Amino acid sequence: MHRFANPARFLRLARPASAVCFWGGLLIAAIGLYWGVFAAPADYLQGESVRMLYIHVPTAWLSMSGYAGLAIAGFSALVWRHPLADVALLALAPVGAVFSAVCLITGSIWGRPTWGTWWVWDGRLTSMLVLFFLYLGVIALARSYDEPGRGAKMASILALLGLVNLPIIKFSVEWWNTLHQPASITLSGSSIDGSMLWPLLTSALGIGLLMASAVLMRMRALIAERKVSARLARLAAA
Amino acid sequence: MKPKSQRLFLIGAAVAALIISALLAMPALREGAAYFYAPADLAAADVEPGQPLRLGGLVEEGSVMRLPDGVTTTFRVTDRLESVPVRYSGIVPDLFREGQGVIADGRLQADGTFAAETLLAKHDENYMPPEVAEAVARAEAEAKARPAN
Amino acid sequence: MNQTAFVIAAYVAAAIGIGGVLAWAYLTMRRAERRAEELRR
Repeated sequence: MHRFANPARFLRLARPASAVCFWGGLLIAAIGLYWGVFAAPADYLQGESVRMLYIHVPTAWLSMSGYAGLAIAGFSALVWRHPLADVALLALAPVGAVFSAVCLITGSIWGRPTWGTWWVWDGRLTSMLVLFFLYLGVIALARSYDEPGRGAKMASILALLGLVNLPIIKFSVEWWNTLHQPASITLSGSSIDGSMLWPLLTSALGIGLLMASAVLMRMRALIAERKVSARLARLAAA
Repeated sequence: MKPKSQRLFLIGAAVAALIISALLAMPALREGAAYFYAPADLAAADVEPGQPLRLGGLVEEGSVMRLPDGVTTTFRVTDRLESVPVRYSGIVPDLFREGQGVIADGRLQADGTFAAETLLAKHDENYMPPEVAEAVARAEAEAKARPAN
Repeated sequence: MNQTAFVIAAYVAAAIGIGGVLAWAYLTMRRAERRAEELRR
C-alpha cells in the first residue's frame, strides 16, 4: 500500500497524468457536448430542453463518484495513515463541491421548462442538496483546525459518515414518490435512445477526465505547498 | 490489538452503525418523505376534504377537457388502480399531455373532485427522438389492434 | 417558452463552474510549484 505513498513517485505519475487528463478530457468533452447539443435529436416530449441532459447527468454522476472517492480517501487516511490520502481528500472536496453545485444549478434550469418549477423539496433534489452541504462540511472541517493533520482526520470522519447519503440519492426515486423521474440507465439497459445515450456517455467520460485533472492539479498544489511550509520551518529553525 | 487494526475496527463499527440506523429510518421516511399521493394512496389514506395535499399520477387518456370559461381544465389523474377527477384554473405546463405524469397541489373537495392550485408536469425516464416515439406508438397500436389469442 | 434560452443558461452556468475550478486548480498549482522550486535553490 505504501508503495505509492512516496510523494516523489506520485508526482512522477501525476505530472504527465494531469496534462493528459486535461487535454484528453477537453477534447472528449468537446466532442460529446457538440454531439449532444448540436447533432443529437431533440426529445419527442421535451423538445430542445433535453439538451441539458448532457451536462446535468455527467455532473450528477461525477459528484456522486467524487464523494465515494472522498470517503475512500478518508478511510485510507484514518486506517492506514496513508500520506497521500489526506492530500486526495483535501483536493477532491472543493472540486466535488463545484460539480454538485453545477448539477443542482443545471437541474434547476432544466426543471423550469420541463416540470414548471425551479425547485421542489422531493427526495432526489433534497438528497442531492445534502450531498453539496456534505462537501462544504468536509471543506469546513478540514480548515477549522490549526493543526492540518487533525482537520484532515475530522474531515475524513465526516466524509465516511456522509457515505450513507449516496444510496439515499440513488434510490430516492424508487423509495419515495418524487417529482424527479426514476433512473434511465439501469443494469437491465437504458431507456435513453442510443442517439442520445452515446453523446451522453462521451460527455460523461470527457467531463470526468476534466474533473480528474482538476483533482490531480490540486493534489500537486497541496504537495508543493507542504514542501514550501516544511522548508520555511526548517529555515526558521536554522 | 494493534493500533491499526483497532482503528479499522472502530471505523468499521461507526460505519456499520450509521448504515443500520439509516436502514431503520427508511420505513419511517417512506411514509413522510413521499412528495405526493398517488390516487390509490389517496383512496387508502381516507383524507378529509379541504386538507391541502399533493396528488400525482398520469393524466388519463381522453379525459382532458377545457371548460368554456377558457381558463379551467378538467382531467382525471390515474395510477392504473384508482383515478381522481381534477379541476385546475390556469396555464398548464408545456409538458402537460394525456398519458404523461403530473403533480398537482391542492385540496380534495367534498364531491370527490381535486381542486388543484398549482400543476407541475412530471416526466418519465424515457428519452427518444420524435421518430422513435412515433414508431413505438405505431407498434403499440398494432399490437392492440391484433386480436388476442 | 423559449427552451433554447434555458439550454444556453445551463451551459453557461456549467462552463463558469467547471472552467472556474480548473483555472483555480491550475493557477494554485503553478504558484505553489514555482515557490517550491525557488526555495529549493
